Amino acid sequence: MNPIKFLFTVAALMFVASPAVHAEEAYLNYKTYCMQCHGMHGKGDGVNVPAMNILPRDHSDNKYMMKRTNTDIYKAIKFGGPAINKSVRMPPWGDTFTDQEITELVGHIRSLCCEKELVRGVNFK
Amino acid sequence: MKRFLLFIVFAAFVSPALVSAGESGAEILKARCASCHDLKGPAPATIRQLWKRDAPDLFYAGNKFRREWLVAWLQKPVRIRPAGVNYLRTINSTPTHQEKTKKGRKYDVLWGAVLKPLKHVTLSKQDAGAVADALMDLKPHTALVAGVTLDTSKKVSLDAGEVIFDKVYGCTSCHQIEPGYGGYTGAELYTAGKRLQPAFMLSYIKRPKNWDPKIWMPNLHVSPDDLQKITNYLILLSKEDFSESN
Repeated sequence: MNPIKFLFTVAALMFVASPAVHAEEAYLNYKTYCMQCHGMHGKGDGVNVPAMNILPRDHSDNKYMMKRTNTDIYKAIKFGGPAINKSVRMPPWGDTFTDQEITELVGHIRSLCCEKELVRGVNFK
Repeated sequence: MKRFLLFIVFAAFVSPALVSAGESGAEILKARCASCHDLKGPAPATIRQLWKRDAPDLFYAGNKFRREWLVAWLQKPVRIRPAGVNYLRTINSTPTHQEKTKKGRKYDVLWGAVLKPLKHVTLSKQDAGAVADALMDLKPHTALVAGVTLDTSKKVSLDAGEVIFDKVYGCTSCHQIEPGYGGYTGAELYTAGKRLQPAFMLSYIKRPKNWDPKIWMPNLHVSPDDLQKITNYLILLSKEDFSESN
């Protein structure tokens, strides 16, 4: 392979491969930590839910999720429900995840609720 | 002659069990516990390693458990975590198995081995004592509990404790405070006071990550005052008799 082609390949991989790796990590984090309440598929139907008096958010609920900015979701994960006037049942995960991981988790949640809008390139703020 | 041979074969099968009666606690741990429990540490540092965990880590058992509870439990093991140690293996969310509630909503369900009684080695009284002694010697995290003491003056009633535990911090989302009341993915906490050392409870609630870097219990930033109250509450709670409701 000539060096210019190689450089192009590396550059292309940097664009294509790294978001995919991040997406996988976010998926694993979601499946490990969030799934206990928000459910395997993010529908707010986790195994712990029947014991709760306040239901976890259904992340596939496009109508509601579109009313929330990425900053809201980020805050809810990092500082817990009370940070956005929601229940203490959503604990703060700021000590468990790095800021980067939380940003990726927000991206993952957007892929659950708002795929059409992602494709359209909507600014979630 | 045939009978004699049969006897020899039979004896060969039985003798390891007889010999084990004379083993030391550390030997029993190595031979019968190490295949599932981590006795050396360190705790899993990535999610993928965490998913491979088959049984609770015991390498800091001496910092964690009360000896008398270990002796009793090893003779009569029962499940402590309703969803198992590794809930990723026990939750089923395929639509046909999801549970429907009154309002018609469906939820993920527990599945598989966790629905049956716990399968665990059962030890004799003598062996249980020896193993408990060996476990109590495993104390790599003494620094984490150094200087951490329970303030018994910050007592709470069961009701007041439940308000802090449930309403202020939302712990019942994952932990049960009586059989069948609370979430499934955490360890049952109505036995925590009997099971755990107060210093461990204080230190673990304060920052679970110090003990288990990737564990799914979040750091709830519990205030020092509430920390003492929650621990006192859990100790008080474990003195209740839940055997009837079991």
